[in-house]
Amino acid sequence: MARLRGMRAGLLLGLAGAVGACGDRAAQVAEAEAEVALAEFPERPLWGDTHLHTDNSIDAFGFGTRLGPDEALRFARGEEVTATTGLKARLSRPLDFLVIADHSDGLGAMRRLYDAPRLLIRDKTLLRWHDMMHESPEGSQRAVAELVTAAANGTLPEALTDQADQEENTRDIWTAHLRTIDEFYEPGVFTPLAGFEYTLMPDGNNLHRVVMFRDGFERTSTVLPFPGVGEGKVDQLWDYMDAYEQATGGRVLAIPHNSNVSNGLMFELTDSDGGPMSAAYARRRAAREPVVEATQIKGDSESHPFLSPNDEFASFGDVGWELGNLPLTRPKSDAMFAGEYLREALKRGLSIEQRVGANPYAFGMIGSTDSHTSLATGDEDNFFGKHTGSEPAAGRALAAQNLGTSQGRFGWHYLAGGYAAVWANANTRAAIFDAMMRREVYATTGSRMVLRLFAGFDFTEADWRGDWVRAGYTRGVPMGGTLADSGKAPTFLISALKDPEGANLDRVQVVKGWATPDGETRERVYDVVWSDMDKRPRTGGRVPAVGDTVDREKATWTNTIGAPELRATWTDPDFTPGQRAFYYVRVLEIPTPRWPLHDAVRFGYTLPPEAMADAVAQERAYSSPVWIGPAEGAARPATVLFDRKRLSRG
Amino acid sequence: MRLPGWTREPLVHFLAAGTAIWFVLAWQGEPVDPASRTIAVAREDRARLALQWERTLQRPPTDAELDSLTEQFIREEVLYREALRLGLDRDDAVLRKRLATKMDYLAASMAETASATDATLEDWLKRHPERFAPEVRYSFDQAWFADRAAAGRALAGGTPQGEDISLPPALERAPRREVEQRFGEAFRQALDEAPVGQRWHGPVASGFGWHLVRLRAREAGPVPSLGAIRDKVEADWQSATAAARKQEAYRVLRQSYRITVAR
Repeated sequence: MARLRGMRAGLLLGLAGAVGACGDRAAQVAEAEAEVALAEFPERPLWGDTHLHTDNSIDAFGFGTRLGPDEALRFARGEEVTATTGLKARLSRPLDFLVIADHSDGLGAMRRLYDAPRLLIRDKTLLRWHDMMHESPEGSQRAVAELVTAAANGTLPEALTDQADQEENTRDIWTAHLRTIDEFYEPGVFTPLAGFEYTLMPDGNNLHRVVMFRDGFERTSTVLPFPGVGEGKVDQLWDYMDAYEQATGGRVLAIPHNSNVSNGLMFELTDSDGGPMSAAYARRRAAREPVVEATQIKGDSESHPFLSPNDEFASFGDVGWELGNLPLTRPKSDAMFAGEYLREALKRGLSIEQRVGANPYAFGMIGSTDSHTSLATGDEDNFFGKHTGSEPAAGRALAAQNLGTSQGRFGWHYLAGGYAAVWANANTRAAIFDAMMRREVYATTGSRMVLRLFAGFDFTEADWRGDWVRAGYTRGVPMGGTLADSGKAPTFLISALKDPEGANLDRVQVVKGWATPDGETRERVYDVVWSDMDKRPRTGGRVPAVGDTVDREKATWTNTIGAPELRATWTDPDFTPGQRAFYYVRVLEIPTPRWPLHDAVRFGYTLPPEAMADAVAQERAYSSPVWIGPAEGAARPATVLFDRKRLSRG
Repeated sequence: MRLPGWTREPLVHFLAAGTAIWFVLAWQGEPVDPASRTIAVAREDRARLALQWERTLQRPPTDAELDSLTEQFIREEVLYREALRLGLDRDDAVLRKRLATKMDYLAASMAETASATDATLEDWLKRHPERFAPEVRYSFDQAWFADRAAAGRALAGGTPQGEDISLPPALERAPRREVEQRFGEAFRQALDEAPVGQRWHGPVASGFGWHLVRLRAREAGPVPSLGAIRDKVEADWQSATAAARKQEAYRVLRQSYRITVAR
């Protein structure tokens, strides 16, 4: 024990030296940021992952990951790294930004438990996990499965939940992490942002949030990641965020994710105490949580067929995840879906706004990975797994992926992961953060298609012949914006351009949700433009399927169907003045193989019928919505509206 | 009082300090052999124990506390030596891993503290120019066609009018990374092979279809001088050297073993 204390003293001394060095680094960063040119209007979307775990996450380490933030950042910016299981890994294209969001609870604890001398471990559970981790990779995975269940059930060993005890270790890891991301920050080229995951999980119902900071070391090192496990509620996280901003003058936001395994709790009609939602509560939530993760490895939360029976594309990424909460300790009932899927939440938001005067669910949408391997992979043919136990290997697509229990979820239920596209006018922390605050962002299921959306009242087809991006920004609002009801139907300029390395596009849809005067909500999906419209006329009110070129034997497809770009000038034909509504765009690619099919071909086996039925899918993008509502009163969403002046560094 | 000049010479300080350290070490004798059955707790050991106590509890230990610390220290030492004698260190997975990591760390830390001379870094820069060279930048105009034949016809007819698509008709000094993000890798490769000048060239393929391009400039910027990017080169050299040292140290050690693996 004495030796341990000596080591800690050494660490602290090292730290003091490091803080001095960081002062210089902060000055360098500020100088480099100042040199980045700010575009008048965002020119291309920046691609990133806001939700990546490294070996500092308690579960990622237990699952076997031995790559840390350093490798994660190298990988994200395009370098080749060696994955934990020994395979060389590289992204087909680098990312522009990355948020490493390790779990705040027990940050680094699993590594310490692994490294601890066996004789010093008093707690029986911890001792068993220690032995399991040393025994084998499978043992390690079982240990984490037990840990996730224990966290969900509130039965974690005291040593892992005692904050005072954890604090010193957490501070060491957090400080080292913040230094690392500052070293990797290359304004204009590659931007790591500070963040962590707040893992609130009452009874295993997922209320997790990624917390993301706008600031560098000087501010972020004054706080510690806020713990989530235990008897908490999300208001405490918002208190923490308020306190950070007041104390440092910095900015921070939170991104809810996996509402699809929250068992109805993520988007409730009540406040977090179960009481009626007040305008103040609604405003606070919207201001703190301007974007939500719509899609990631653990499923897609945009829509569900139970809620949207008329939407033939509503079921993407729902299978498996719809069975129950995160560790499958509690099954799901139909009544829970409404509190879980984003489209329904956006609708609930309108209805609440109508009632109390503020919209708690006026959020934009992004995708991310939630990968626990330090590798932010989103491509179907380059999927490195949810965790180290599901890195590329024969059979991973069929293995039970239970997260706590052994029923119902298999490898093939995982999606390959999504990405966040951000319309920022420069690749800097400030510009990316601010774009998220004004919701000028969209989600993709991994494809890098380019999606523009502008809403206004006087757009026409003629706008496409000129500088339509300028027209969009000057005569309308981009995705994430708000229009004041002027009694006239809104018109949208929509452009979806395929991923240059990916599949052609099938169709562009507008999803509209609205509230009736008596507080009921409705939705409708409009096909607004699709490929080969002359050869594919609407029949029976529907656009026929685009076709399917996927060769199931080889996991290949061809771009002989679909279109490279789809554009539309679309005016809502059913607009009712005075009605609150939102509109977002969903873009579908032509069918392509999902990762399990690539795996089956690569490792030479046949998928069972159930998995085969889901082996081909239409990758997609979801824009953030544009809202329309009464110009007067409290109808505006509570978050920051689009304002060109805010594009500046601020 | 004025000291003579020689007392301010660094060489003299160095010699004096060296002599003092020699005397201390000579007085202490050889380090303890773990297998020996003599345990001598020196004043220095007691001072260290007291200091650790003070760091933790913010006050010095009382005499009784210090005696008890000393007893703990002796107990640990006795058990440690007995454990070594029984060979308990040999099949402990944690201990093995920890000691192995320490060896790695030792090898790497020598490289980390080493600061490179300018000559070393110059050499490093010369051997790995691609790591420090600015990205290739392209300035070009492009016109897009869904169909290859249409692109071919447009090339024959002077300044081509492309079809509508949301791709920039021109980019100025765009780095390689950006060209790949917006047009894809195939297109960027075509730019590497396209002639530079005012003439239109093509058709070249991309993930979108076919393009005619007028590549006005392709700049592969010179590698900056060491002075301009010294920190970056040194950081790169250090991390590469640390990895190489670890590898080299291991190689040397491994060479002295004869290893057989039954399969």
